[in-house]
Amino acid sequence: MHNINNNNQIPQNDTLVPGTSVSSGTNASVGAVMVVGGGIGGIQASLDLVEMGYRVYLVDSGPSIGGVMGQLDKTFPTNDCSMCILSPKLVEVGSSENIELFTLSDVVGVEGEEGDFTVELRVRPRFVDPEKCTGCGICTEQCRVKVKDPYDADLKRTPLIRVPFPQAVPGVAFIDPTRCLYLLKGKCGECKEVCLADAVDFEQKERTDTLRVGSIVMAPGYRPFDARIKAEYGYGVYDNVVTSLEFERILAANGPTGGHVLRRSDGGPVRKLAFIQCVGSRDTSVGNSYCSSVCCMYATKQSLIAREHQRDIEPSIFFIDMRSYGKGFEEYYRKASREQGVRYVRCLASYAKELRPSGNILIGYTDEDGNAVEEEFDLVVLSVGIEPDAAGLAGVLGVALGEHGFVATDEFLTVKTSRPGVYACGVVEGPKDIPDTVVQASASADMASAGLGAARGELIVHVEHPPEREVVGEEPRIGAVICRCGTNIGGVVDVPAVVEYARTLPNVVFADERLYACSQDTQEWIRDIVREHGLNRLMVASCTPRTHQPLFRDTMRSAGLNKYLFEMANIREHCSWVHMNLPDEATGKSKHLVKMAVGKAALLEPLQEGVSPVTPRALVIGGGGAGMTAALRLGDAGFTTYLVEKELELGGNMRHIFRTVEGGDVGAYLEELVGKVSSHGNIELFLDSTVDVVDGYVGKFHTTLSTPGGPVEVDHGVVVVATGGVEYEPKEGEYFFGRDERVITQAELERRIHQDPGSLAGVRDVVMIQCVGSRNDENPYCSKICCTVAVKNALALKRLNPDAGVHICYRDVRTYGFAEDRYLEARERGVGFIRFDEDEPPEVKHSFGDLLLKVADRNVRGEEVSLGCDLVVLSTGVAANPDAAELGPKLKVPLSADGFFLEAHVKLRPVDFATDGVFVAGLAHYPKTIGESLTQACAAAARAESVLCKENVVTEGVVAWVDEEVCSGCRQCVRLCSYEAIDFDEERGVAVVNSALCKGCGACTAACTSGANTLLGFKQDQIYAQIEAACNPL
Amino acid sequence: MAIKDRARDIIGKEVDGVLAFRPEGGSHVPHLFNADDIDQMAGEYPAGERYPVSSIVRRLQAARPGVRLAVVVRGCDERALIELEKQGQVDMEHLVLLGLACDGELAGTCGCAQPYPSEVVQGEKVEGGLDLGMVEKLEGLPPGERLDYWLSRFAACVKCFGCRNVCPLCYCKECALDEPGLVDHGEQPPLLPVFHLIRAVDMAGRCVDCGLCEEACPIGIPLRTLYRKVGEVVESHFEYRPGRSPDKKSPLSVLGTEEDVT
Amino acid sequence: MSRKPENNNGKDEVKILAFLCNWCSYAGADLAGVSRLQYPPNVVDIRVMCSGTISPYHVLKAFQMGIDGVLIAGCHIGDCHYIKGNYMTYKRFQVIRDVLEFIGIGEDRLRLEWVSAAEGEKFAEVIREFTGQVEQAGASPLRTRWEENPANRERIRKAFKPLLP
Ligand code: SF4
Ligand code: SF4
Ligand code: FES
Repeated sequence: MHNINNNNQIPQNDTLVPGTSVSSGTNASVGAVMVVGGGIGGIQASLDLVEMGYRVYLVDSGPSIGGVMGQLDKTFPTNDCSMCILSPKLVEVGSSENIELFTLSDVVGVEGEEGDFTVELRVRPRFVDPEKCTGCGICTEQCRVKVKDPYDADLKRTPLIRVPFPQAVPGVAFIDPTRCLYLLKGKCGECKEVCLADAVDFEQKERTDTLRVGSIVMAPGYRPFDARIKAEYGYGVYDNVVTSLEFERILAANGPTGGHVLRRSDGGPVRKLAFIQCVGSRDTSVGNSYCSSVCCMYATKQSLIAREHQRDIEPSIFFIDMRSYGKGFEEYYRKASREQGVRYVRCLASYAKELRPSGNILIGYTDEDGNAVEEEFDLVVLSVGIEPDAAGLAGVLGVALGEHGFVATDEFLTVKTSRPGVYACGVVEGPKDIPDTVVQASASADMASAGLGAARGELIVHVEHPPEREVVGEEPRIGAVICRCGTNIGGVVDVPAVVEYARTLPNVVFADERLYACSQDTQEWIRDIVREHGLNRLMVASCTPRTHQPLFRDTMRSAGLNKYLFEMANIREHCSWVHMNLPDEATGKSKHLVKMAVGKAALLEPLQEGVSPVTPRALVIGGGGAGMTAALRLGDAGFTTYLVEKELELGGNMRHIFRTVEGGDVGAYLEELVGKVSSHGNIELFLDSTVDVVDGYVGKFHTTLSTPGGPVEVDHGVVVVATGGVEYEPKEGEYFFGRDERVITQAELERRIHQDPGSLAGVRDVVMIQCVGSRNDENPYCSKICCTVAVKNALALKRLNPDAGVHICYRDVRTYGFAEDRYLEARERGVGFIRFDEDEPPEVKHSFGDLLLKVADRNVRGEEVSLGCDLVVLSTGVAANPDAAELGPKLKVPLSADGFFLEAHVKLRPVDFATDGVFVAGLAHYPKTIGESLTQACAAAARAESVLCKENVVTEGVVAWVDEEVCSGCRQCVRLCSYEAIDFDEERGVAVVNSALCKGCGACTAACTSGANTLLGFKQDQIYAQIEAACNPL
Repeated sequence: MAIKDRARDIIGKEVDGVLAFRPEGGSHVPHLFNADDIDQMAGEYPAGERYPVSSIVRRLQAARPGVRLAVVVRGCDERALIELEKQGQVDMEHLVLLGLACDGELAGTCGCAQPYPSEVVQGEKVEGGLDLGMVEKLEGLPPGERLDYWLSRFAACVKCFGCRNVCPLCYCKECALDEPGLVDHGEQPPLLPVFHLIRAVDMAGRCVDCGLCEEACPIGIPLRTLYRKVGEVVESHFEYRPGRSPDKKSPLSVLGTEEDVT
Repeated sequence: MSRKPENNNGKDEVKILAFLCNWCSYAGADLAGVSRLQYPPNVVDIRVMCSGTISPYHVLKAFQMGIDGVLIAGCHIGDCHYIKGNYMTYKRFQVIRDVLEFIGIGEDRLRLEWVSAAEGEKFAEVIREFTGQVEQAGASPLRTRWEENPANRERIRKAFKPLLP
């Protein structure tokens, strides 16, 4: 996204294309990056940076990371559970040695410059020592003062001392000091008394930390529009008018109503549900002319989820234009409106009134026929827009803001701010959804690390462990540790009895209890008992392995044991906490769980994390803007990059674009890009060439290219797919296309505007037709950019000839984000907008040699409009590159139904494929703007770099393994792997798992009837032992 | 005699050997004929004599990859070969099928869905019809009685492994029935009912309803009834019929699409 | 906990084994715990990486060993951490449930549920409901039925050796 009109705020003096010009590699640069903001953007940037070899200081002003995504129930368009996909990332951040978390912290000062900044942080007191706190929550039960819980959008009250939400990272408590009786009056202090870990510390004071970093990534997120400003909707006055974020919490299974859709006034059920769109967006009266880009989709999602919860809910969405422009969005919207009972009402809702005594809300609006209508609803959701919350941070960091108050960024590389060394990702830079945020996060990691090359790895911590003791052949000697977790477990479960019981189990040579198994001194103690008792397996019965297994596995390593010789029994979340009133049963169940864990532990084997060497070279397929950018980024980072372009010339689709919507000079940018790529010492160009055969896997690909000089073989560690898209070709005769030369495409118009304006001199009336080849049964997806392009070219025509009559026939104007401003401008300049229905497309006719366009204008009750025109411009969509169908199977990566490449996860892995080591960028992925494409290319480069910068690909120990003696070659497992991790060795007739690709899901093992294929760490005999222990009496 | 004639025509030319039957001691045994002894090949195929020819083909091809064989197949044999090919166990390209339609009497007692192969060289095609009579009868019983029925049948098992050994679709080098974590070694009768259910679930998407297992069982455990039920389950949920859905792979051996699971 | 079918308001005390996938259902169960949602203690669980790891053999083994009910829980379709692992879970489940039903080990003893990481309440509810359902069905006939018939006792004693003290 871009929001600068005159680019003088961005340093572009000598160069447009960043990278090679950065005076990188000065030894003074610091190998650490500060990331400000712990939402999904900041998290992704941090994880990428660590993978790329930089230490990260992740700063969040709140008590936990997670951001807004942590509050969402589901995500569109897949309805993925937000927390399910986010929490593994939270855990990853929490357990990374190379990410230092600063919560309750704000950046207050910055000095220095790119490569070496000194940042001053103000760290507010938490009043709980995070080293001691185990997150057990006993304090929370004691606290008598309750405040509104921001995690639940203030819909519920919560004690002052608490862990912010169950999956919070750090998972420790904090005290909200605003109303604490002890802090204010010196009274109470009960939390301190009950805390068995002695973690509460009222003496903590605010402190200032000073950190040196090489670059800074801003990812502070946004502020929702304050709906009270739109007084006509009565938010804050009527109970049954809520904001979309509040409604998200209402829908959430872990929210204030447990996921039941209830009214706020009386807790009654909801049947008629309304969404009012564009509250605080596209609204100059509140100062926000831009489009918030996500509300149409989340309203659709919330409607669907509400109906999923309760079948009889009837959602209505009051909207202006339906902006379902992203990947999979249009299909989602079509399905919602056609099959899933969501009603879409095109109008601007004028007001909402509360009815008494029912508390129902009356919405007044003007329907499509121009009638004033009032309609009654049980609950009204305001789809509030996204507002910038960047001024403070931007001020401190010294970066410029754009006209809407979001951070101003470069048009082509949308994460680059006005200050070198400071990058922005996510909503701070302009409204956007999660995948776009994640793309920018990876891109900003790429840019933030670019100048720090020499310092790569310098500040990364590698923990040295003693050598692993050989245990194979030894009898199992299991140590059993039972945790009391303060009173969390000990208060319900008879822990001594469990310890006694554990001692009787086979192979257990030592058993004892601990107050907190996860405390630092327990880790020391574990190392002692391992030594003293010659333990070779460890079983800890405490809390959930999902958060604590990494800790104990580390302890295993530091005790000189293989970390996979560890097993956990969850006697807290799965026992003491859910059977609080049944101490006997809980004790019995704990024994059972311990017995099962011990049974498995006895059969555990040491597992090796595989290493396979990385060829530090990249293959980039496609020499358009995205491909060149990716190659340049990788080349600049020092990796030899093979860039393959099937045509004779670089540039791809970018050659046919002249200006961005904001006026940026695409040609000049392209020229510089081509120049840099062509002369780059690390980039080897293959023009007029294609990819023939691809062998190998992440870190170790071997590819044969067909080039004009014959086949060339290259070795490389990663692949970036940037094969672009193609312009949809109108069907012969579609609107006279190809038969009448006055019917042209938008691309041709753009060419004429910039290369042959003379040819347009006599053109007085121009009509543009949108959605040609998009949003229909044949191509259901929306091509995303055509509306913006049409507006851009309409404005250009108007500039050439202010008297020209320009009309755009559209279905929905999808100028999302700041492009909305150009839409407004076009309307101000007299461009006419005519809306048609899918079933009633405009008709182009010949009348005495003249072109005549007829269309029913839905904006004026379907009145027939006839326009004579000199030029009809078809906004043809972007179609998938037909080459993709051939390339996909070669790379073992999938395509979606519309022929674009399908990424690993639409939300959180937008540039990765499920197949490791292969990445995607640009139009190959989906239609998008130049800025979005090039930014995605940087993101792909970052992801690729995180593979290339390592000597080896280290693979999980938990992988499938095929016993070749036993395999009968049925090939089932080969087909069942989503990651193409199993190859079939035709010669030996056996399946072979490539542990570098295997993710350890075990889908294959369950299919292997001969038992040849087993998942290490979850071997059949281990699971059988658990089953046996579960079923047999104690 | 049509099969024998055809076999004579192609032996030594299109194929290196013909897997067919040789009369011996008043009955027939499978034999691999070559050009020299092809005359001894049986011309007629009595209803009562069936062999797991697909398993023999599998072994022959494994021993001599690329060998060109012709084989006399009934409907069930062909179905087994089709499934085996999907599982990479036989090579149909080097195989010539000499189709034999089962006669009316055999088809009637067998009760399989298709008592003839896709191309019939010898015999009169009679339409079959899957006999689910026993399945339906059992389904009519209350669950408790069904369990009694099955447990009492399974309890008679002498653990001869005949069912597995004769099954054309059983080719694993190590069998779950020998897995000590599942089935106690040396336990007689085997652990009830896991022994028989292991086979039942493994037959899902595989069993071609040839009936050899039931024929092989010395006790007469109604295995075919059990596996026919399994076949019906697979067909009803996934529209897959082992051996008769040539262009599809077993749904349990492919990931499939979201539509398959919603 | 005693394995004897004890009287519990006239109902058998039942035991349930739950297989939970690491990423969603186990997390959902964790959330039920964190939220202190109470449910019957009859269930013990086994964590697997993906519900697609669970083979029919595991289910058979559990019933063989005398379990009264088996729950398989994974991510919702589309949410599987490993993309399509749960497709296989779903398909395998269809088969094993119907086979068990046919054998007479009622289908009410085997359940498949999709539980997300945010569905702590759903997890608790599933356990409550399923426990109730299994209690309704009573102790597994594989550990009771033939024991009632003295003639079969010896044989069963052998066959069910692992169940008996
Ligand atoms: S465990 Fe999963 S990722 Fe690994 S080989 Fe098997 S199916 Fe593929
Ligand atoms: S499923 Fe088992 S037998 Fe079949 S190919 Fe895979 S490992 Fe071999
Ligand atoms: S990871 Fe949960 S079902 Fe696959």
